Parts: sequence; C-alpha cells; structure tokens
Amino acid sequence: MSGAAENLTPMGVNWIGLYTIVRREVQRMMRVPIQAFIAPWISALLFIFIFGFVLGSTMRTIGGHRYIEFVMPGILMMNIINAAFLQSSSAIYFSRFIKFVEEMLVAPLSYLEMVVGSIATVVLRASITGIGILFIGMFFGATTIESWPLFIFWIVAVSTIFGLAGILVGLWSKSFEQLNMPVVFFLTPLSMLGGSFFTLKMLPGWLHWMLWGNPFFYFINGIRGAMIGVDEAPQGLSVALTLLMILVLGGTVWRLFSRGYGLRE
Amino acid sequence: MPTPALSVRNLRKVYRRGNVAVDDLSLTINEGDFFGFLGPNGAGKSTTIHCITGIAEPTSGTIEIFGLDAVKNYRDARRLVGLCPQEFNVDPFATPGQIVDWAGGYFGMNRAQRKSRVDYLMERFELTPHLKKSFRELSGGLKRRVVLARALVHDPRLIILDEPTAGVDVELRRVLWRYLQDINGDGRTILLTSHYLEEVERLCRDIAIVNAGKIVRQGTKAEIAGAPGGLENAYLAATGAEADHVAGQ
Repeated sequence: MSGAAENLTPMGVNWIGLYTIVRREVQRMMRVPIQAFIAPWISALLFIFIFGFVLGSTMRTIGGHRYIEFVMPGILMMNIINAAFLQSSSAIYFSRFIKFVEEMLVAPLSYLEMVVGSIATVVLRASITGIGILFIGMFFGATTIESWPLFIFWIVAVSTIFGLAGILVGLWSKSFEQLNMPVVFFLTPLSMLGGSFFTLKMLPGWLHWMLWGNPFFYFINGIRGAMIGVDEAPQGLSVALTLLMILVLGGTVWRLFSRGYGLRE
Repeated sequence: MPTPALSVRNLRKVYRRGNVAVDDLSLTINEGDFFGFLGPNGAGKSTTIHCITGIAEPTSGTIEIFGLDAVKNYRDARRLVGLCPQEFNVDPFATPGQIVDWAGGYFGMNRAQRKSRVDYLMERFELTPHLKKSFRELSGGLKRRVVLARALVHDPRLIILDEPTAGVDVELRRVLWRYLQDINGDGRTILLTSHYLEEVERLCRDIAIVNAGKIVRQGTKAEIAGAPGGLENAYLAATGAEADHVAGQ
C-alpha cells in the first residue's frame, strides 16, 4: 500500500455524506414547495370544507364523532402516503434519468447510508405534510389528537414503508409512464378502499375481506386511533404488520442497492 | 517497488445483453504519472473508467487503487479518486456552488473544508460570476468547468478525466492544461482520455491505446509517439486503420 492509502484513517459511518444526501434532497424539495406542501394542505382544506361545512349536518356520526372527524385521519394518511411515495420514487428515478446518481456511486458512501439518507428525507417531507394537515384540522375543529407518540409512530412508519416502496418503483421504472403506474393502479384504489371514508360495519359481510386484506386499512385505522381514538383494527396486529413491511421492504431495497440494480451498469 | 496508483488486472466487463465492452484488460499507472488512455469511440475507455470508479460492476478481474481493492474496499479506495465524467451527470437545476459543495459532503468534508475548497475552485475555474445560475443556464464550457471542480473538490490523489476538454474552447483548454500540469507537478496522478491527440502528446508521459476492449499498445510517450508520423500514426496503426487512412500519407 502506498503513502496515499496508508494516510487514510479508517472510515466509519460517513455521517457528513449521509447528511449531505438529506440536505441535497431538502434543497431539491424546496424548489417545488407548492407541489410538496401547499397542494396536500389545500386538498385537506377542501375536504374540511366539503365534509365539515357543506355536508356536515347531513352526515351521520360514527362512534360518537362527526363525519369530518372520522375522515380526517384517512385524508391525512392518504397525503402522507402520496408525499412519501412521490418523494422517493421521483428522486431516485430523476437521479437515474439524469445520471446524477453517479455522484453518490463514486463517493465513499455505503449502500445503507444511501438508503437511510433517502428515507430520512421522505420521513421529513411526510412529517411536515402530516403535521401541517393536523394543525389545519385542529384549527377548524375538524380533528383532535389522542396520542402524540402513536401519531408520530404512524407518520414515521408509514412514510418509511412508502418511501421504500417508492425507491423500488424508482429503481424499476424505465419511463415516466411506469413511474406513475403504481399510483394509478395501487396507491389511489387501495387508499380509497382502505377505510378512509367508511367503516368496516358499513360494508356487507362478504366484502369485509376487502378491508382485512388491504394493508392501508391498518395504517388508516392506526392513525385514526392516535387522532380520535377510534380503531377498528387490533393495534398490535397493525403495528406488527407495519414493522414487518418495513423489514421486508428495507431488506429488499438494501439488497438491490448493494447489487447495483437500476443504479450501476 | 512502490505501490502503483492504479493497477487493473485482467478486467472483463460484459453488459447484460452480452456485449463485451472490456476484455482481459490490464493496466498499471504509477503514482505521479500523467497517463493518456486513447482509443476510438466504443473501445472500452469509459467502461474501464466506470469499473474503476464504481459506476459499473466488473464482470471479472481486479482493480486496485493505491493498493486498495476498488470492489472489496470500495469506500476507502473511492476517497482517493476524483472522476470528471464524459457526460454532464449533474442535477440541472442546482447551482455550481451546490453541485461542488454536495460532492464535498459525499466525501465527508466538513462545512469549513467545503467552503474553503469550493471558494478556491470557483475562483480557479472562473465560476464565481456564475454562482447563482442553475447548471442548465451555463454554456458548455462552464458546465465542463463545474464537473471538473466537482471531481477535484476532495483533492483526490488519482484524478480520472474522461474527455474533459470535449466541446471546450481553446482558452479554457489552456487554463485546464495549466491546472492539470500544476496538480500533476504536486504529485497527483492523472488518467486522461481524449480524442485530441495533441493534448495527450502535450500532457502525458505514458500512453495506452485500447481497441475493442483490449490494450493494443502501451508505452512511454517517446516509445509510441517517437516513430515517424508521431502519435497519430501510432494510434491509427494500433487501432487497425488502413495505411492510406493515415494522415499525411
């Protein structure tokens, strides 16, 4: 080994590199604040106006809560899922498309640092989106908060899941058409049919499988429990399922990164 | 015997569709050398560089950077290398300062180190007046300066320049040549690919010519360019050009 290599101090975690990934993504995100934050907040405001003000008096109460209080957690969760998925899928796809992902590939960054850096940004964006919607809801009396720790858990856990799913799609996609396919065919239908706007009891018995088999049902009910204390899914099952999904998706993403799938030639 | 700056042994790279881009290529570059890596388009120069820097995964063979395995010990090996790629692989909406600063961050440089280095490189490559422009607003020559500054931000021991002067005007080419000669004089090792033979002849001390994924000629500049017809003749002969295609004949 030559002097150049001998003078190197052994490299531990590249904290500055990891922080730089987050910093770069935040700076990129702040170029499009309307798309990143204002759009979901306006969408939440519109739901509050329609379900709380226009239709509020005609809707029945659920579990002692007004209809707007019942649907707000679902609306919040749908926005978190969208924010997380779009942030990570577009970031990875754009960096592959323009090839600036090579900046990271030639740097002394481990694959784990790259994944953690990307997910940290996703969680940040989803948290700002979610907490913004919560405050808007609280300001208009459309929601409350029962448990802050559970609320934070659900935002972080669900945004991690969809951040990881977004990375998978961003690595797999070869066109903008493919990038949008999961939103059209999975994210929107599963979140609309995951109990955002109705309870399990509103469905006929033969359709209950549609909710029990839909992971979004557990996420939406989890955050609903944290916000208004109404939860149709067992909390333990929801938490276990969520952690399992993080583990499986995280392992898959890390494996694909270390193999260079979609990244290296 | 001192450890070479770069040692490539029996490198082979086969792409997914079976295209053999590099085939049993071996190369040694000594520390402090200014090495010219020549070959026609598609000969395997960029693929070799991509394998060295981690953009591509070698199919087989070994690559060592200052004695460090570039695959097994990739993190430490990459700290010693700076790459100026052929393509502008840059976030087009970012500013020159951001691009160079982020690169410094990836290499673990703290804020003070980055600031001082970014300021120096912006000044050196006359990018200071363009600091607030986005990359896509810059001219071709300015873009080239930005990617070069990015490659140098962590003051690497081995600098790999893949056609750094392609599409660049004479003035910048000369600024760049002076800078490269300066840092080579300071002990930095440089691997340069270029289609401008006069550039290679002017700057490099050792030369390798690659064709169809294999090294077809390697030696000192005197050995290769010293024969009648100079480097151009040697290059065309090594890459299989017919005699009547050779310039000047």
